[in-house]
Amino acid sequence: MIELFDVTKRFGDETAVDGISLRVEKGELCALVGTSGCGKSTTLRMINRLIEHDGGEIHLDGQPVRSFDEVALRRRIGYVIQSTGLFPHWTVARNIGLVPRLLKWPKGKVRDRVEELMQLLGLPVAEFADKYPRQLSGGQAQRVGVARALAADPDILLMDEPFGALDPITRATLQDELRVLQARLHKTVVFVTHDMDEALALADRLVVMHQGRIVQQGSPVELLREPANPFVESLLGGMDRGLKEAALIQVSEHMLPLGPRLLASERIPYGASLSQALSVMLWHRVDRLTVVDEEDIPIGELSLRRLLGAKVP
Amino acid sequence: MSSAASSTTHGSAVQRWLAPIVWLSLLLLLTLGMGHLEWLFRLLEPDLRQVIYRRADFLTLLGQHVLVVGIASLLAVALGVSAAVAVTRKFGRDFLPLVSQLASIGQTFPPVAVLALAVPALGFGTLPIIVALLLYGLLPIVRNTLAGIDSIDPQVHEAARAMGMTPWQVLRQVELPLAAPFILAGIRTSVTINIATAALGTTVGASNLGDPIISGIVNGNTAYIVQGAVLIGLLALAVDSLFERLQRRG
Repeated sequence: MIELFDVTKRFGDETAVDGISLRVEKGELCALVGTSGCGKSTTLRMINRLIEHDGGEIHLDGQPVRSFDEVALRRRIGYVIQSTGLFPHWTVARNIGLVPRLLKWPKGKVRDRVEELMQLLGLPVAEFADKYPRQLSGGQAQRVGVARALAADPDILLMDEPFGALDPITRATLQDELRVLQARLHKTVVFVTHDMDEALALADRLVVMHQGRIVQQGSPVELLREPANPFVESLLGGMDRGLKEAALIQVSEHMLPLGPRLLASERIPYGASLSQALSVMLWHRVDRLTVVDEEDIPIGELSLRRLLGAKVP
Repeated sequence: MSSAASSTTHGSAVQRWLAPIVWLSLLLLLTLGMGHLEWLFRLLEPDLRQVIYRRADFLTLLGQHVLVVGIASLLAVALGVSAAVAVTRKFGRDFLPLVSQLASIGQTFPPVAVLALAVPALGFGTLPIIVALLLYGLLPIVRNTLAGIDSIDPQVHEAARAMGMTPWQVLRQVELPLAAPFILAGIRTSVTINIATAALGTTVGASNLGDPIISGIVNGNTAYIVQGAVLIGLLALAVDSLFERLQRRG
């Protein structure tokens, strides 16, 4: 659990972070969103004391971060940055094993852990262990960056625009992988991004920052439904909000049991999102879809009329 | 060499080390066999009684030359790298402009002037020339170490800190290895310049390969000058090609 109480940071005359209070529960993925210069990265870097805060307090599991030795503190917090920051003179395996080695794990244990993480992140050991960072694609390098951050199994993971430099397809793949990973590992994650779609897709809780202050925080749906002001609304995409919300909802949540009527001709997998279902309906000019499971067996139907009549969550 | 060339692995190893081996063998051959070339130098100075420098043997002079340059260079590396490292730490940042300026002044100061100042302070002999070479060789090392540390991606540096490396671990495991090619290039420049400059030591009583040159100038014996100059040139070429080899490995 991470708690910030009235935290302030000034650089000279400029106040980068202006009295923010925030609580990230254990196992929660919290996204800090905002335009560049809003103080979100500064906030992140104050948690592992790469930047020292000027006012207020930052607590980790109830203990002020200042009470820890900064080196020991950082070894128990994973950190992922946009440019990866991999050491160019070290192989992939050596880069991943950095923190366990700093913690003086026995050699065999480090090697096992490195191989375990490479498998977890889809980096075949035989192919990648001895490669150098310059031989990797952007997506592969960031996988190594994530593996390095997870190496010593920290409870907390700080991610600063980790997928910001990747092409859209690789970014989407890594976002999906992070979601799967998080569902399995339940780390306490603070994730900084300026990409609202990324934040909506990944976060349990969104914190919108502007000019060093928190403008609004809540679940993705809460923010979409009730943006606090025009700034948050525009950040959320204005008129696209309906589709963005639909993208967060699975077809299965609005599925109706199969009725006596004929099956609708167009099909949609039950794991698809509501926005994808709407797209299929628009494309085929139909108002009903047959929902199918993984084996393409009909298990229910989706009706536009019923969707429009459904209660707002 | 012909037996080594028969095996491909040996062949390529010899090939890679060819330049240093050639220059070093030429240097040693000439150092030991200068006496056999009397006929050659006779052509240069037909009227003089003696055309081969014999006041000391060339091997001893070469040894002293290498020793003086070696000591001065080791000190310059130790001092230069530590100074550059110190002023790139948090506590030493304020001294960064001062140190890079001092190192530049060390270079603009003619070594002869350093000698002239050092002799009254340190007396005649080997010490003043070591001091002069040390000061003179400092700049390329300081400048290149600074450039090397500066060339490191700040994100790599931040990642190192963020992973929980101590400042010492960041220096040893990240900064120095990444700056090493730059530092090596600086040492190469420094040592090569100092091999030539060391000849001045003769003027303050440190005997080395500069002896035949100075003696040749004083006595009007071109043969002596050529003997000293050629050996110094070969030493510089041998050491330089050795460094080139090392740099390409790194």
